[in-house]
This record gives sequence, C-alpha cells and structure tokens, in this order.
Amino acid sequence: MNAPATWLDERRAEAANRFAALGVPHRRIEDWKYSDLKTAIEGANDDAAASWSVGTLPEGVELFDLSHANAPAWVQKHFGTLPQNAMASASFAHARTGFALRVSRDKAPGSLAVDFAAAGSARALIVLEEDASLTLCETNKASGFSNLGVEIVIGANAQLTHIRHAPRTDAVQVEEYAVRVARDGTYRAHLFNGGAKLSRAEFQIALAGENAQAHLSGVSVLGNGAHADVTTHVIHAVGHTQSTQLFKKVAGGKSRGVYQGRITVEQGADKSDSRQTAKALLMGTRAEADLKPELEIFADDVKCAHGAAVGDLDPNSLFYLRARGIPEAEARNMLVRAFLEEAVDEIADETIRATIWEAVEDALPKAMQP
Amino acid sequence: MSVARETKQQVAEIGEKYKYGFVTDIEMERAPKGLNEDTVRYISAKKAEPEWMLEWRLGAFARWKEMREPNWARVHYRKIDYQDAYYYAAPRNTPKKQSLDEVDPKLLETYKKLGIPLHEQMALAGVAVDAVFDSVSVATTFKEKLNEAGVIFCPISEAIRDYPDLVKKYLGTVVPVTDNFFATLNSAVFSDGTFVYVPKGVRCPMELSTYFRINASETGQFERTLIIADEGSYVSYLEGCTAPKRDENQLHAAVVELIALEGAEIKYSTVQNWYPGDENGLGGIYNFVTKRGDCRGDRSKISWTQVETGSAITWKYPSCILRGDDTVGEFYSIAIANNFQQADTGTKMIHLGRNTRSRIISKGISAGKAQNTYRGLVSVHPKAANARNYTQCDSLLIGGKCGAHTVPYIESRNPTARIEHEATTSKIAEDQLFYCLQRGIPQEEAVALIVNGFCKEVLQQLPMEFAVEAQKLVGISLEGSVG
Repeated sequence: MNAPATWLDERRAEAANRFAALGVPHRRIEDWKYSDLKTAIEGANDDAAASWSVGTLPEGVELFDLSHANAPAWVQKHFGTLPQNAMASASFAHARTGFALRVSRDKAPGSLAVDFAAAGSARALIVLEEDASLTLCETNKASGFSNLGVEIVIGANAQLTHIRHAPRTDAVQVEEYAVRVARDGTYRAHLFNGGAKLSRAEFQIALAGENAQAHLSGVSVLGNGAHADVTTHVIHAVGHTQSTQLFKKVAGGKSRGVYQGRITVEQGADKSDSRQTAKALLMGTRAEADLKPELEIFADDVKCAHGAAVGDLDPNSLFYLRARGIPEAEARNMLVRAFLEEAVDEIADETIRATIWEAVEDALPKAMQP
Repeated sequence: MSVARETKQQVAEIGEKYKYGFVTDIEMERAPKGLNEDTVRYISAKKAEPEWMLEWRLGAFARWKEMREPNWARVHYRKIDYQDAYYYAAPRNTPKKQSLDEVDPKLLETYKKLGIPLHEQMALAGVAVDAVFDSVSVATTFKEKLNEAGVIFCPISEAIRDYPDLVKKYLGTVVPVTDNFFATLNSAVFSDGTFVYVPKGVRCPMELSTYFRINASETGQFERTLIIADEGSYVSYLEGCTAPKRDENQLHAAVVELIALEGAEIKYSTVQNWYPGDENGLGGIYNFVTKRGDCRGDRSKISWTQVETGSAITWKYPSCILRGDDTVGEFYSIAIANNFQQADTGTKMIHLGRNTRSRIISKGISAGKAQNTYRGLVSVHPKAANARNYTQCDSLLIGGKCGAHTVPYIESRNPTARIEHEATTSKIAEDQLFYCLQRGIPQEEAVALIVNGFCKEVLQQLPMEFAVEAQKLVGISLEGSVG
C-alpha cells in the first residue's frame, strides 16, 4: 500500500466516519435484536486479514487483487459505491485484502468457486457486464471474528447465480452483501447455513431497472449451540420488478434461527411483485426461531404478500405415514427432509444442488436432536 | 338503504368540516401550565386522593424524568414540549349532580351532538354511560341496575376513595409504572378514567360504555382505565372517542389495564374518531396509548376490537399476556389513515401458559398521503406448550402517495407451538370497482362498499351499536380519497 490512490482513500475515510458514527451493532439496535454482535466480539479485533482464494479463471473473467495498487477503471468505478451499513462500512474502511471480479459483456463462463477462510475482514467486488452470466459458488469457513463485505453489480440483462455454502463453525461471522440489479438483470442466491457462534448474512438488494429480478432461497440447519441470522432487504426502486424469497430453518438443541426480511416498494414502483415466505421447525424447547417478514410499501399498484410459520411437523402427515407402517423416527426424518427440500430445489444446477443437499444431510442429525 | 348511501348523505350534511369539530364554551378550572412535582400534587389534591396514591404518582414522575421518548415507531411529529401544556382541566361547576336536570345544559347539548343516548333511550339501547368530559366524570347512570348485580362501574378517582383495596391490588400490575415513556407519564398525571369490577360468576347485565372527549384547548388528556373481571365473570366494554377541532396538536396518553381471572372474559371495543388534522396535515390529536390485558387465570379470555379512524398520530398496541393455561387472546383492528395521518398500531401476544391461543386480524387502509403501519409481536415462551397463533394483516392502498407497512415479529421457543402469519398488500381491485360502477353505484359509494367488505371480519366483532357507527366512519374517513 504505497501508491496514492486518492479515490480509494476518500471512500475509505467516508466509510470509517460512517462506522464511527454507527458503532458496532448490538441488541438494542432494532435490526440486530436477535444477534448481539457487540457482546459476541468483545475483545476480538477485525484488523486481521481474512484469506480468500478464487478457482481457475474461465475465459471472459478478469480478476484483480484488491491489495494491489493501480486498480483498473472498472474497479474504481464500482468499488465502494453501493450502500454500506455499519459492518459493511467497517470492512470497507479496514480491509486491505480482497478481490474484484469482472465478467465481460456477453460472456457466460459457467461457474467459478470462491473461498473465504480465517479471521479478519475482506472485501469483494463482483461485476457482471451487460448480457453476461455467471454462477458463483462461495464457501465461507470463517474462524474467530470475520467480517466480509461483498458488492455485486449486475448489468442489464446479466444473470448471476450465487451459491453461499457456510458450514458449521465456531466463529463470529458477519457477511454483508450489497447487490444492484440493472434492467432485465437477475440475481439468484441460494444459501446453506450450518450456523456459527454468531452468523449474520445480510443482503441489501436494489432492483434498479425495469424487469430486474431477485430470487432468494435458503436453508439453515442448526445443531446445538448454532446461531444463524439471515437478514434481507429487497428494494423495488422502479416498477415492473420481481422478487421471491423462500427460507426454511430447522433448529435443534440450544440454537437460534433468525430471519428478518424487509421488502421496500418505493413510490411509483407500480406493478412490482414480491413474495416472501419463511418457515421454521423447532426440535426442542431450547431452540428458538425469530422471524420478522417486513413490508414497506409506498406504491399502490403492487402485489406483495408474505407468510411466516413456526411450528412442529404436521401431526396429520406424521399420522398418515405411521398408519402406513413407517416408524415415527423415520417418518419425522422424511418430513423434515421434505420441508427443507422445497428450498434446496430452487437451485437449478443439478451438481450444485447435490453438493448443497449433502451439506444438509451432514448437518441434519445434529439439528434433529432436541 | 345501503350504508354507503347513508355515508354519502352524512358527508354531504357535514360538508368539508369535521363532524365533531365544535368547541363547548364552558369555564375551565386548570392546573398551572407545565409539568413538575407541584402539578402532580395539585392533581392529586384536586382529586382528594389518599397519601399512597400521591406517593405512587410521585414515584412515577421521578422515573419519567429519567426516561426518553421512544422513537422506533414509524411516525414523525414535531417535538412535544411537555412543559407547554396543561395537565389538568375540569369544568368549574362540579358539585355532585342528583339528576340530569342539574347537569349544565351546554354539556348536555355537547352530548347530544355526539349522539350519546343519555336519557330514556338508554334503557332501550341497554347502555350505561359514564361520560368523561375533560377529565371529570359528570353523569353516571344505571348505577342501580349495576349495583344489583354487584358490578362496580365508576370514575377511577371515586374507586381510589371507595375501593382502595381493589385499586391497590390491581393498579399498575399489567402496565407497570415504568413500562414506557407515555405510560409512566400517565401514571404521574392521570386525571381520571374508569374503574370496573365484575364480581365472581357475574355476567355484566349490559354493555358498559364511556365516551371520552377532549375539550379544553392545549389540554393533554390522561385517562386511566382499570377493568377487573373476577372468576367466571363476563363484561363487554365500549370506548368511543371524539374531539373538537383544534389547530394545536393535543397529546393524549391513556393507559388501559384489563385483568381476567380464572374463566373470566373481557371484551373491549374502541371506536376512535379523534380530530385527525386538516387536509394539509395541520393539527390533530397525538394518540399515544398503552393498552394491555392480562389473562391471569386459567381459561380466561380477552378480546380487543378497535376501529381507528382519527388522530393525526396513532401509537397504540393493545396486547394480551396469556399467563393462565388455556387462555385466549384476540385482536381485531381496522386502522384507516387519510390525508397526512400516521398510524403505527398493532398488538403483542405473549404466550406464557399451556394451550394458549391467539388470533390477530388487522386491516389497514391508507389513502391520501397517509402512512399506516402494522407492528405486532407474537412471542411463545418455552413453557407454552401447544400454543397456537394465527395472524392475518391485510393492507389496502388508495392512491399512489400513501404507504402501508407491516412489521410482524415472531418469536417461538416451544416446538409444539404453531404460529402462522399471512400478510397481503393490494389496492382496490379494478374488476370489483367496475362491477359496482356498471350497476350504477357511484365511485365514492363503491369504494365505501368495497372497503366495508374488506373490513367485514373486524366489523362483525363489534357490538351492534358500534358496528353501525363504525361502518359510517369508514365511509367518512375516506371521503375525498378517490377520483
């Protein structure tokens, strides 16, 4: 870090000021009611640098290491331009490592693997130019306290499918995604969460052009001691935009599954269509599920619906199976899998779906213990 | 005749003016402006309260001074200067009246305009009215019939004097003195309110009703209501509100506490039609109310029904604590916001006991430049086995400049609990409107009709006398919002 990158210094200073004003979020801040970050990271420092690696680059994809100087124009144009909340400001101000990826116009290079590991903070920038498409497979194995900030810029008619695989860790892991989708662009995200000491994955998605779409789905499979908080904010900034969300949670032992989803339809964003569903199954009296599906509507010609449910397995279904000679334990297994499968089925790619399902199977035995 | 047509007629009669926007010119007796310990002492002395009550108020006031006004609700208003208001106002001539003839005719006229049936028609209507006119109860009727049944229905100031044991035992046990900023303020300076006690096994022989009315300019009104339903009893309570037209914002911070003991049932209905401010968002009532019911005994039930059409700002969350086993909590709400009104309302259902059930039906309607928020919490504690909740929040938007928001919190800590939440946001369907227009129903009537249909599930929960009034209100509140 010796070259004077004034644009970067400026943006970092702004982020540092923002973080200084906001501070580390805690339980008394409404959006962090169910994830007390301040208590969880007492004594930890985020000055460390998280490590990252990117798989073999297919044709049409450019990579830039953010710890290097002389960022190309496309990095300068986008890096640090999407909205940042407290923790995203912190990672932007402090992180000195990370990467930027760009898929050139009209390119469809297939899939690319990205891994994050270790403690500390890092930033990533992913840019899809017009008509480009990419499947991004992210694996997040944090330790200690990790704070990652990811910016995703999706150009007109571009498509990004984002798989986020976060197996169970004992870390305090915060990951902030800021996504901007231009007209006719599509952002798909599919999450698997095994939970951590404290895990927070927050998505801020702006549907900024007509016919922009965001489709999110995810499962949290939580064993004893796990915490997983998925927070989303989808902003329908213009009309004729669509979003869907489907999140499922199974919580066993002493675990906590959190879903907070906010949908904002801005004034004039008529013909927006948004659906949101969150469901949780609790396996015992020590587990907790907190759901907060929020709607914020400023336009009248919209279709918005959300549903949420917490409960046990349906006793009728259980009875149906048992009446056909299936032992209770097995029947429960079947029903829990069927419950989760709905959300995993959203993944279009068969291989990836199988990998995620494997992760579900690995985590399930612990999550089904009361 | 359709309600819609009736509404139309009524709207025509009142023209552009708020129906209840008149001021009764009666001499007022006031506490000095501002809020300090002396104000609290003044109010307590005016009410000839015993020492323990004064201590209670002073304790609350000491706490209030250290509290901060909450800011989490989706409402925006100019900062309230708590030192720039009167905390006590009473009509000067208050010696006890023996009959209605002795009541100031101007007051009676006010009641007449409000449509309070204070005379013989009350017997037909079966309504006993304890009318609160700016903090002091003036006339209480049907006392005898209630006395026969053993029901106590009186101003709370009277209850403090006559039934101190009951008041001491229950006051502040549902909404603690330190509960929130506005409840604490109310605890310090409440001027009057209603006290109801229904003894064991008694089914209250009539619907109890109170009309509140804010009258003196610049007078905050702080009502305190305490309703206790003893084992196996039943009571239905109606609260209706109107306030005269004012340009200055008026603060209203009431506290309502309901206590249902084993097997008891309380039904609490509200129609709130306070002055909402004019078309430009000027004036109107600030309504910051804390209402909470405690299903203390097993198999008890508390049901809230509200129709909120008035107030510039509504901040109100009638809640149920389902403490006993097999208890039931219900919340039915219609919130209508037009012009610049802001409503942030909802409920909390706290499931503590086993087999507890709750049901939330909320209908929010926004028009003009109004903001309407449903904010609710369903919380199931680890011991609340087999708890059941069903929540439905529907929002209707009329016009493209208003907002409808839904903020439900669902917290479950018991695997056998079942919680369901559904919410939808929509506008009036073109095909429904077209259907009406095609049959010669004018647009405004058609909207009133459709909106009434949208609210039907809640309107059905209201007692008859209220249901008619509420249907008309729905039409009036949305006047001028279409076309």
